Amino acid sequence: MFKQFLSKLPRKSSKSDSGELNRSSSGPVSSPVQRSGTSGGGSGPVRSNSGKRMSSAVFPASVVAGIEPLVPFKDVPSSEKLNLFVSKVSLCCVTFDFSDPGKNSIEKDVKRQTLLELLDFVASGSVKFTEPAILAMCRMCAVNLFRVFPPNYRSSSGGENDDDEPMFDPAWPHLQIVYDLLLKFITSPCLDAKVAKKYLDHAFIVRLLDLFDSEDPRERECLKTILHRVYGKFMVHRPFVRKSMSNIFYRFVFETEKHSGIAELLEIFGSIVSGFALPLKEEHKIFLWRVLIPLHKPKSVGNYFQQLSYCITQFIDKEPKLGSVVIKGLLKFWPITNSQKEVMFLGEVEEIVEAMSVMEFQKIMVPLFLRIACCVTSSHFQVSERALFLWNNDQIVNLIGHNRQAILPIMFTALEKNAQNHWNQSVLNLTLNVRKMFCEMDEALFMSCHARFKEDEAKQCSAAEKRKEVWARLENAASMKPITGKTAVLVTPRATSIAC
Amino acid sequence: MAMVDEPLYPIAVLIDELKNDDIQLRLNSIRRLSTIARALGEERTRKELIPFLSENSDDDDEVLLAMAEELGVFIPFVGGIEFAHVLLPPLESLCTVEETCVREKAVESLCKIGSQMKENDLVESFVPLVKRLAGGEWFAARVSACGIFHVAYQGCTDVLKTELRATYSQLCKDDMPMVRRAAASNLGKFATTVESTFLIAEIMTMFDDLTKDDQDSVRLLAVEGCAALGKLLEPQDCVARILPVIVNFSQDKSWRVRYMVANQLYELCEAVGPDCTRTDLVPAYVRLLRDNEAEVRIAAAGKVTKFCRLLNPELAIQHILPCVKELSSDSSQHVRSALASVIMGMAPILGKDSTIEHLLPIFLSLLKDEFPDVRLNIISKLDQVNQVIGIDLLSQSLLPAIVELAEDRHWRVRLAIIEYVPLLASQLGIGFFDDKLGALCMQWLQDKVYSIREAAANNLKRLAEEFGPEWAMQHLVPQVLDMVNNPHYLHRMMVLRAISLMAPVMGSEITCSKFLPVVVEASKDRVPNIKFNVAKLLQSLIPIVDQSVVDKTIRQCLVDLSEDPDVDVRYFANQALNSIDGSTAAQS
Repeated sequence: MFKQFLSKLPRKSSKSDSGELNRSSSGPVSSPVQRSGTSGGGSGPVRSNSGKRMSSAVFPASVVAGIEPLVPFKDVPSSEKLNLFVSKVSLCCVTFDFSDPGKNSIEKDVKRQTLLELLDFVASGSVKFTEPAILAMCRMCAVNLFRVFPPNYRSSSGGENDDDEPMFDPAWPHLQIVYDLLLKFITSPCLDAKVAKKYLDHAFIVRLLDLFDSEDPRERECLKTILHRVYGKFMVHRPFVRKSMSNIFYRFVFETEKHSGIAELLEIFGSIVSGFALPLKEEHKIFLWRVLIPLHKPKSVGNYFQQLSYCITQFIDKEPKLGSVVIKGLLKFWPITNSQKEVMFLGEVEEIVEAMSVMEFQKIMVPLFLRIACCVTSSHFQVSERALFLWNNDQIVNLIGHNRQAILPIMFTALEKNAQNHWNQSVLNLTLNVRKMFCEMDEALFMSCHARFKEDEAKQCSAAEKRKEVWARLENAASMKPITGKTAVLVTPRATSIAC
Repeated sequence: MAMVDEPLYPIAVLIDELKNDDIQLRLNSIRRLSTIARALGEERTRKELIPFLSENSDDDDEVLLAMAEELGVFIPFVGGIEFAHVLLPPLESLCTVEETCVREKAVESLCKIGSQMKENDLVESFVPLVKRLAGGEWFAARVSACGIFHVAYQGCTDVLKTELRATYSQLCKDDMPMVRRAAASNLGKFATTVESTFLIAEIMTMFDDLTKDDQDSVRLLAVEGCAALGKLLEPQDCVARILPVIVNFSQDKSWRVRYMVANQLYELCEAVGPDCTRTDLVPAYVRLLRDNEAEVRIAAAGKVTKFCRLLNPELAIQHILPCVKELSSDSSQHVRSALASVIMGMAPILGKDSTIEHLLPIFLSLLKDEFPDVRLNIISKLDQVNQVIGIDLLSQSLLPAIVELAEDRHWRVRLAIIEYVPLLASQLGIGFFDDKLGALCMQWLQDKVYSIREAAANNLKRLAEEFGPEWAMQHLVPQVLDMVNNPHYLHRMMVLRAISLMAPVMGSEITCSKFLPVVVEASKDRVPNIKFNVAKLLQSLIPIVDQSVVDKTIRQCLVDLSEDPDVDVRYFANQALNSIDGSTAAQS
């Protein structure tokens, strides 16, 4: 289904035209800035003096031809305004080396002023943008914004990353206005999406999405708003945007586990999900199952947990039947060794279960409470506490009460173990309360569980014994059988004994 | 319970165990699959166990991982190679699970099995499996498929081969970047199995597509394949097809791509031949050595020796050496450190004169580097330079650096230098050592970090081995024994440690005459820790000295200690006494 849907999309975005966007440049500006190799001349590599080498790759030390300010918009007749717009935009295609603040400071200021003028012009919304204007604008944004981020020294566990401050692009003063301009441009009523989609194409979107990996939260914030608007305005691109975002998530979950912008992307997705029509398309449900739930797996889930959780509750709000699916997924990715994550998961479980119908709840209660029983007996007191807090939720207690025949037998051993020897006083108190609650709920059941518990305790040892014996007999039986004589086999009897 | 009379159903045992809630038990039972298989016998393994496993792919990833691994070595249990195909279905379904490491393990096992299968079995069961995975709906299947093409391709029919190549080319153009990445990283492996006629016609086309991918991550993996592909091609094809790509990549706007190129550029030198190396690869490499991005320079600097080894010396001196000079004062310590770890290797390439003229100043400046890793990297490769420039020149410039490192404020640096002292001593010779390093060795024995003191004691032993007992008697023993009166008990303890290490090297006579009196004296120390260490030390001396000495001196001393008020001292003294009795009993 998913595949079918995807196959309707063009296999590859048309790369060629966007490539041209960056390569060729026309207009009054002398030359577009390109990577001019790595060094400016014979004088050796250009290096910034401090360790924070930031935009060297972005702004090579090329010679910037003088840029002259153009006449203000108010001085030309309306018929000329768009031509002036194109000229001004083209002027802003020049990029500067910001690692040296003293360099080209006059030109930098000219560009800044021009950008601000453009911002005003776009905001005024006086003229409908023509194709050349849109092309120029997209090209200018591409030249300024689409860049390769420098290595992230913080993640490589070197010796000298004491400062945990993210590295900020020194070119931010310009970047920020370009972002503002792009946002204003996209949201402008003077921009016809049907015309603009040709230039704001798939390749443009992919590169825009790549920027979400920026370490600068301000930049990600700008991108978030822009992408949101693109999604809103360009209906044709919606499936593509969703698919490209999924690709970023897949790569993050299954390959790298490194990405700075997952939280922002999920935030956008949260509002996309809340806009889904009912009944939910199969494609969207697959996204929930294949992308959102696996996003619980990475170590850094804490960075985007809130946004993730929001997306998931949006899904369940739309279709309550998905609750059990989500719980099953959470159980699959349940963190065993990371207590912090475990606490987060318990919080999400509470939120989901709280809203469940009895029918849905019954689908997952047995595996869920097996897991909760493990959490209750956790030696990490926060995990144990968080699990026991579930019984403070009236809605959940109500569900448990209805299904006590299934749940109490699972929980009983855990509660009993805690009552006997949990080290933490507050866990102990909570445990005793929950136990009391069960006892008051159904005393007869409680007593029978108690009896079973005693019985099981006695049997436990013999079960382990029996298991050992069965395996010993199997080993014995196995050693009697000859294995195929045609192949040489190394048989290494496993020394590991079965845990009791 | 009448267990013994119950009939044994191996499959039932497994099913029962796999139902258990405790993952550890499930894991254990999977780890013992081979036992179950043997108990079942080959035929029932094929007909009952394997089908059961195929259906049981809904467990925790950890259990699935174990299963994927076990199945890789399962051929003997299903009846040998002609039945290997029965193992494919469970592995196929493991290839499609979400978790990456399970899939990878399943692919690995499939490769193991496939490479042993007979040709018609390959054609009948393995190739269809590859095709099914490659056409899988979910990307996990297609990613897995990329890793097994090279196994399927060998030894199947021409028609199928054509089909497989076409399928792989589809994977290289897959809609999902995940799949294209897998295709890119496996292309080199696949290419080694493909006939040379198709290499240029088809594989290179796939390669070209991948190198033009709009995703940085895909191009990156394509670069990784450059060198591998280059080696498969004829030199002229390599020049025509690979060289332009790599030169282009060396100027890619992404530093990650340039980094990859820097890492493997040298591997291409041989493939393209000396002419193109000179005209194209050397300029590209020089650019990388001067890259704006430190990461790229680190990679390039680390390969400088390997690269130069493939050039003639003039070319290296003319083009590479100036860059090396620049790098030796690079702003990034990691670049200098990478350079320092390989630059010694350039000495034999350049020859003595050039080394003295060009390299020596660089060595010296790196030896004085403010960053200790850089200095260490130089010192650890000293033997290579020694051969070229000779010890005198070296020792003049070397010593200040060593002294400085010996007192570095990072104890790990001090530790590293101590570990090189025996090597240095052997290279520099006794004379040099006596003057300069002797005092340092004693100083380390009183370092404030335990690991350093421990390493220092060990160092004394290695020096004694290197220069012989007589020398040690003169230059090490008196100084060590002097320390026994140190007011700090930890330092007194170090004396005991040094004695226990040196005694076996020094032999019985010196041990009895020099060490033993000191040890016996130390047994009257006021600190219990010293005393029980004396007991332990005496125990270790027993095999070294004569029985008469044991009876006369050691035993008495231990008997005294065994009446000590401190429980630990008594414990170790008794341990030592027991071992005396044990050894006497063994002798009689």
